[in-house]
Amino acid sequence: MNAKLKETLLNPIFKGNPITVLVLGICSALAVTVTMKGALVMMLSVTVVSAVSSLILSILRNTIPSRVRIIVQLVVVSMMVILVDQVLRSFEATYAIDKQLSVYIGLIITNCIVMGRIEAFALGNKPWPSFLDGLANGLGYGLILLTVAFFRELLGSGTLFGVDILGRLGYVPNNLVILPPMALILLGCIVWIQRSIQKDLQEK
Amino acid sequence: MDTNKNLYTVVYTAVVVLIVSALLAFVSTALKDKQDANEKADIMGQIMTAAQFGTRAELQGLGNSNVLAKFDEELAESFTVNLAGEKVADLQRDKVYPAKELKAQNYKIKGAGEPELPVFIFKNGKTVVPIYGAGLWGPIWGYIAFEEDLTTIASAYFDHDSETAGLGARIKDDPDFQHEFNGEKADFAGTRIFEIVKGGAPKEADGKTSVIDNKIDAITGATMTCKGLDEAINTWLGAYKAYFGKNASTSSCCGECAQDCGKCTEGCDEAENNCGEE
Amino acid sequence: MEYISLFVKSIFVDNMIFAYFLGMCSYLAVSKNVKTASGLGAAVVFVLLCTLPINYGINKFLANNPFGVDLTFLSFILFIAVIAAFTQLVEMIVEKFAPSLYGSLGIFLPLIAVNCAILGGSLFMQQRDFGNVGEAAVYALGSGIGWFLAIVTLAAIREKLQYSNVSPALKGIGITFITVGLMSIAFMTFMGITI
Repeated sequence: MNAKLKETLLNPIFKGNPITVLVLGICSALAVTVTMKGALVMMLSVTVVSAVSSLILSILRNTIPSRVRIIVQLVVVSMMVILVDQVLRSFEATYAIDKQLSVYIGLIITNCIVMGRIEAFALGNKPWPSFLDGLANGLGYGLILLTVAFFRELLGSGTLFGVDILGRLGYVPNNLVILPPMALILLGCIVWIQRSIQKDLQEK
Repeated sequence: MDTNKNLYTVVYTAVVVLIVSALLAFVSTALKDKQDANEKADIMGQIMTAAQFGTRAELQGLGNSNVLAKFDEELAESFTVNLAGEKVADLQRDKVYPAKELKAQNYKIKGAGEPELPVFIFKNGKTVVPIYGAGLWGPIWGYIAFEEDLTTIASAYFDHDSETAGLGARIKDDPDFQHEFNGEKADFAGTRIFEIVKGGAPKEADGKTSVIDNKIDAITGATMTCKGLDEAINTWLGAYKAYFGKNASTSSCCGECAQDCGKCTEGCDEAENNCGEE
Repeated sequence: MEYISLFVKSIFVDNMIFAYFLGMCSYLAVSKNVKTASGLGAAVVFVLLCTLPINYGINKFLANNPFGVDLTFLSFILFIAVIAAFTQLVEMIVEKFAPSLYGSLGIFLPLIAVNCAILGGSLFMQQRDFGNVGEAAVYALGSGIGWFLAIVTLAAIREKLQYSNVSPALKGIGITFITVGLMSIAFMTFMGITI
């Protein structure tokens, strides 16, 4: 793999993270991070949708009439989202999670990461790099999701992936962490830490 | 090629939409059976949890086909009744009511027509009926299993679409909350059949058994969800009131103190139910 | 009375931003000053109010369609198509007949198609199953105004924040996240209210 592709793949995961740096896709990042399991499924769903939609639209990029560009993008993205939703609902193992995430799976359609990367990258690049870009952005999104979910589930329920961890030590779960505002504050803290390390990201 | 001509734009959009809808229709039809099977097994699991054939997790661990088999094995009969308490029709043995269908019945109970109210009777003597209502964010529903006297609640299981995890979601996730229902008695004669109240359901001093009445303690921090649940239980049990009144086996209750027993002592020898002598 | 209750509830209790965090991307990006924020807010109210009743009709049609097949799997795609088509339509009309308004609002219009609050409104409408189109419209107006209120408030706070001495790493988006978190806690006090 050449250096440029590697850059495409690695940049969105840390340095150009879609959530903390580009500030895209916040809605679902806050809503599905109550449990690790939900965050993991959301991460995989977004990654698949983002990667495959980028690939398809990159293949079609020269044929799309510019006036209906947004509509065509939305149609392809929503097709992927419906496919993911239908597949999740079909497996015994994921049925319960799909039920739990309900509305937020549908909202992947308007997840700014997917649309943003298609507009900014897939429509101007060849299919293979576009696919990697979509994949990497999904993973970068997932990384933040999992980090937030780790703290929220551990402190809010005393469990991780549903396995009791802190409860055994006599920890009383803190309900505040489970409420949505705490996700925002945690996200603020993650941004704080990241920008303390990477000083070039700081805003003036 | 000029991609900005009107004709090209229209044809292009039409073709994309056609291809996408065809693909989705194909996938949706192909997966429909599996999805329905998942849904059915999920609901059967909920009903059997209420009827005490195992915890939710145990039943989920069985896998779809075993859940279906167990449901068929344990079910004595299932049928629908109307508001007057008359049996309307037998249900197919594997027929259950997904939340969507409960919702339709919920409208009817609230005055939009004659609802079909499902009743599931199991071989272990438990009678299970569904409830449905609105929580804080979305619908909540569940199943309540009654003992043979049709007054004592054996146990209950609840589910929801989108209540807050850790708060409202505890109606589903917290076995302790659901266990509070065990042994409680529905008060079909009173104004409220069942109540979920804040701090109004004191436990006995030894902490082992709760006072047997029609009240349980609400979940702290989930006021709206519990209120919705309270409403759903009262609406639905209210709809089943006539059926329960007709079919309750009164004999099981004779001889007990009338105050504990409520309505089900009707038809008993009055001397038997005299509380003053105790 | 029910309409008033639904209206007030969708503004304060079920606030799109503070209770569901929908439409966060543009909320954070366009809240740097009050003027542009109110422009976007007004556009969101308008599009929500127009698309939700249409989508309500579509949802009802899909559920009881004359073909006798379950078509509800198409709802996502039709909702978003209505929203995108509507946004594009509004953009074209405004551009043609009111160029000055287009100048001030123009850039926000295409953004709205991908605003989660709009699609979210339609999806919640589907999940909550409103009884009639009036309820759907009232809900749309209420959540739109709730969104408007949220973005204008945040913009006002951010205008003031510019003069505060914030830790350099937290400056900009970091402190905005925390501010929104605190605002959301404040809005949670509306949650227990029954109207």
